[in-house]
Amino acid sequence: MVQSSIATDFERIFHPDKIAIIGFSKEGIGFGSGILFSLRAIGYSGEIYLVNPKGGTFNGQPIYARIEDIPGGFDLAIIAVPAQAVAEALEACLKKGAAGAEIFSSGFKELGTPEGIALEQEVTRIAAKGLRVIGPNCFGIYCPKSGLTVLPGPDLSRRPGPIAFSSQSGGMAVDFANLGKSMGLGFSKVVSFGNGCDLRETELLRYFGADPQTGIITMYIEGIQDGDAFFAALKQTAARKPVIINKGGLSEAGSRAVQSHTASMGGSRRIWQSILRQANAVQVNDMHEMAQTAMAFALLPPKVYRNITVLGGGGALGVAAADAAEAYGIKIPPFEPELAARIDALLPRPGSSPGNPVDVANPFVAPKTLRQIMRLAAGDERIDLQIFTSLLHHYKNQAKIFGKPVKEITPYVELADDIQAVVAETGKPIAVILSNPKSAPDHLDVVEMFVDARRVFAERGIPVFNHLTEAFKALGHLNIYYERKHP
Amino acid sequence: MTKAQAKKLITQAKREGRTTLSEYEAKLVLAAYKIPVTQEILVEKKKELPGAARTIGYPLVMKGCAAEIAHKTEKNLVRVDVRNKEEALQAFEEIKTAMGDAQGGVLVQQMVSGRRELVMGLTRDPQFGACVMFGLGGIFTEILKDISFRKAPLEERDALEMMGDIKGHKILGAVRGMPAADTKALAKMLIHIGQIGLDLEAVAEIDLNPVILSGAKPVAVDALIVLR
Repeated sequence: MVQSSIATDFERIFHPDKIAIIGFSKEGIGFGSGILFSLRAIGYSGEIYLVNPKGGTFNGQPIYARIEDIPGGFDLAIIAVPAQAVAEALEACLKKGAAGAEIFSSGFKELGTPEGIALEQEVTRIAAKGLRVIGPNCFGIYCPKSGLTVLPGPDLSRRPGPIAFSSQSGGMAVDFANLGKSMGLGFSKVVSFGNGCDLRETELLRYFGADPQTGIITMYIEGIQDGDAFFAALKQTAARKPVIINKGGLSEAGSRAVQSHTASMGGSRRIWQSILRQANAVQVNDMHEMAQTAMAFALLPPKVYRNITVLGGGGALGVAAADAAEAYGIKIPPFEPELAARIDALLPRPGSSPGNPVDVANPFVAPKTLRQIMRLAAGDERIDLQIFTSLLHHYKNQAKIFGKPVKEITPYVELADDIQAVVAETGKPIAVILSNPKSAPDHLDVVEMFVDARRVFAERGIPVFNHLTEAFKALGHLNIYYERKHP
Repeated sequence: MTKAQAKKLITQAKREGRTTLSEYEAKLVLAAYKIPVTQEILVEKKKELPGAARTIGYPLVMKGCAAEIAHKTEKNLVRVDVRNKEEALQAFEEIKTAMGDAQGGVLVQQMVSGRRELVMGLTRDPQFGACVMFGLGGIFTEILKDISFRKAPLEERDALEMMGDIKGHKILGAVRGMPAADTKALAKMLIHIGQIGLDLEAVAEIDLNPVILSGAKPVAVDALIVLR
């Protein structure tokens, strides 16, 4: 189905001035009252109309008995009535000139019953008359810019960013939005489309591809409707912006009865892997890898990162780091003797080593010294990026000795400022590893300090990973994407 | 054989209720799509054998060839390195006997020498349609499953990339005194296999296994086409 004014429709759907909640009940905690609470809590500032056949008022606001009773029109409907009543409500929204409707209600195709399938077909039929449906059986849209949020999303961030997410799963949409908030990542739009009886992956992909607010597209896919159309849209979109895909439910072997080796080895895992590579999409295995990869794309300049430095401390430095990096096509080249000597002169003794990786050994080296080392290391013209592995958790013992809060004694703000300054001076990005092995009940102050440190780094545009291998993996994805984007 | 004739051959096979083409027929279809296959002659009568053998040239490979026969090696229907007329006649008798009641002849085939065996094929994915496969061939195909796929139609870039995607891609380079494989020719084969998938709806699956590198040049030595 091709709509004549898609851009306008999407604008009204993602940034509605007026929303109607259909199926709002003041008793108990239903989807209707749940979404009202979420919209109010996140600070949606547009008009909200409430509809319930019983009428009445809620907190002084009228509850309309029928959709027709709403004065004037509205942009977006949020429908939470029983499945059997959805079609009638949708028709009424269409007459009111709504651009779209989120249908939270379940009881459709997902049941697998003839009745459920028929009800969903009816919804699709009505949608084709000129109103876009998100759902049914979904959590709807989260758009930080407009204040629209998903059903369980009263506490999501209002800070917009470049990442769009299309998700078949509502739970995944909410989890990813929360994870993004925890990591300091901003979203343009998050869409949970559930059964996807109208608007779904391929059209969203095209829309996000054209959307100036979106720089990076992430997707969680279970099934797709039309493989050819999806592939064409993916190839076209990935040529413009990174598309990161987590495909759920992949099988090793082909499920059909086949006679050839080719067909028997063509299970969905291999085919999807190949198809995504052919289109230059980035395939990730879980939500965390998706978030870290999206962060790397969002914060690092678009280029291939071949040679890096690793500075800091911790068990994974040295040979282990080099081995792990190599698996992702990244090198940690040793410094020339002259540079190594200059770095060595700054390092504490004993136990440090100036080569690349640079092991500073002592976790309490002052940020000022680290800044000098990072500045020197960036002077090696082969280097594309630096990784700093922090050892902030060691300050817990310092805090105890000096009788001060760990948050106060740990110099993470200074460190973040210094790193930001080195990046600005050298033009070479620095990623930080914040790995906290201290999270026992008596270490919750360390946990809290790490949460704040992450915020401080993220605010300065510094990518933060939990582990060195996660950073390598994300860089590996970046490298493959940019290498193949500009062959 | 032209592409139109290849299509007719398949239509005819389907009309006969067959689910596969014989090796000989499969190679006619492949050749129509400019895919290099072994030189071969299908011999039905013993008296035609010496002439066919001379045309192909010794040493020969001889195979029982009928549509309903898959897994020829396991059924003892293959003789390799047949060096003269006497050996050829004896092989013919033995293969015919082993074939039993199966309709068909004996395929007299050029023996392609080369130590590097590859596999190519076509499958129809329920979501993405015709997909072309490339990988290590022969006995390694099933053991290592070192393979990659691309959705048809393939561009040359896709074909070259899918060869690079397999772990054992270095086998295509100049190794152990063998020349680097003609990757342009390999790419063309992969592109044309994809084209078969797009042109011929009745083709469900294709296996070319092995595709032997004879020096730098690839040749499909065995072929299976499954119909739907």
